[in-house]
Amino acid sequence: MKKIVPIVLILLMLAVIATIFISMAKEDQPVTIMTGNTEMKPLPIKFNHTNDPQCAMLLKTDHNALEVAIPDGRTWFFDDPGCMILWIEKKPFRDQAKIWVHTIDTGKWIDAKKAHYGVTDKTEMRYGFGAREHESNGTIDFEEMRLRMLRGENLTNPKIRKKLLGI
Amino acid sequence: MNEILLSNQVIVYLLSESVLFGLLLVAFVITLGILAKWDFGSYSEQQFRLERRAYLVMTILLFAFVVKFLLLVYFVFTIDNLSVLVPGAMCAAGVISANDYGMPLLFLKLLILFFLLLWMAVNSFDLKARNYPLFRLKSWFFIAIFLLIAVETGLDFAYFGQIDIQKPVSCCSTLYGQMEGANPLPFGLNTATLLMLFYLLYAVVAGALLSGQRALSLLASLLFVVIAYYSVVYFFGTYIYELPTHKCPFCMLQKEYYYVGYLVWGTLFGGIYLGMIASVMEITLKVERGRERKVALILLSIFVLLCTAYVAVYYLRNGVFL
Repeated sequence: MKKIVPIVLILLMLAVIATIFISMAKEDQPVTIMTGNTEMKPLPIKFNHTNDPQCAMLLKTDHNALEVAIPDGRTWFFDDPGCMILWIEKKPFRDQAKIWVHTIDTGKWIDAKKAHYGVTDKTEMRYGFGAREHESNGTIDFEEMRLRMLRGENLTNPKIRKKLLGI
Repeated sequence: MNEILLSNQVIVYLLSESVLFGLLLVAFVITLGILAKWDFGSYSEQQFRLERRAYLVMTILLFAFVVKFLLLVYFVFTIDNLSVLVPGAMCAAGVISANDYGMPLLFLKLLILFFLLLWMAVNSFDLKARNYPLFRLKSWFFIAIFLLIAVETGLDFAYFGQIDIQKPVSCCSTLYGQMEGANPLPFGLNTATLLMLFYLLYAVVAGALLSGQRALSLLASLLFVVIAYYSVVYFFGTYIYELPTHKCPFCMLQKEYYYVGYLVWGTLFGGIYLGMIASVMEITLKVERGRERKVALILLSIFVLLCTAYVAVYYLRNGVFL
């Protein structure tokens, strides 16, 4: 018995270690960040496998999606302009970051700071700011959208929703 | 002045830590003097004086261990109570993450407690040997512990001094909640495999402690503490809270859950610490530490039974698992 117990325990420990290694090999976690994008260009998004770091949701489409790329090559992905504004506000690289947005009117990646934003669009987090390449009735610029987002003046605010949509 | 520093509990805590640090500073200075002049073979008056001082250091350290243990519990209790002052915090999880110093501080406190316990075990062995064979080793060990305590005391002030009560923090649901599609468990494990490893590792640790397999016990204990932490946060904790979405290591320390968190974490860390100290002592000093191993086994068994009981009782009362 005294000789069997150590062997059984070592076998159990080996089983534990083997289970951990097998699990690690199978691990396929979604990504929140990509590295190596030193050119700060928009990267293709792997849908259902990329998380928005602000709301933690998976990106299922590039419709109205954003990317934030910084000079050291790190790139983050967002499903809603509102998420990006909240996330980047206190980041030290806010001014150096290149922000890309996938427009809802032309379906192109453009500089988010040059885009025009609707205020009553149906967006992923229901903030209401849909990015457009071309200016149209009622759209606002990036800085105005940023301020409204930080003030909480978006469609998630019942008073603003009532004012803009009447519901 | 930061309003957190005006809280009664924080004042008591920081004052106690400061007094204890002052006491340990005295022990540190004395130890440096002893190390410079120690000669056990000598019968000089100076050597007798040094031996009396060595007893003083030992007494201070024994006192420090008891107070540090109580202060760790009080620290957790304090940050839990501060959750009413910090906006957004629902329990200690939010308060501990209010700045970058919180989590390293908690980890350092746990590490220091382990080292103090190990120092006490080395000291008891040294005293029984009569000729103090480990005197220099334990003195240098104390110096290392003191340096850690100095960092800890600095972190205590930095942490409490920089909690901003105007700035909202995240609650535990955000901190321990998972990203959509992401797996919060380590090594890519799923809950079923995590539980299998939890019970398997407990069996290995228990078997190794009973049969005296030191290296295996040490390795399995290190792995068990990681697996047990995740098991409690992401599985057993949901049965304590009776809510499948509530995943937090701190909320269970609150009154609403009958302070059971203190028992859960106390038995886990107590058992792991004693088991590891017994193994380290047996491997390095070739001494038998059967009593520590028995106590470690009892504490770990209480921990596993307690966690399992929450699941079993929930199932018996409701007929379903969460």
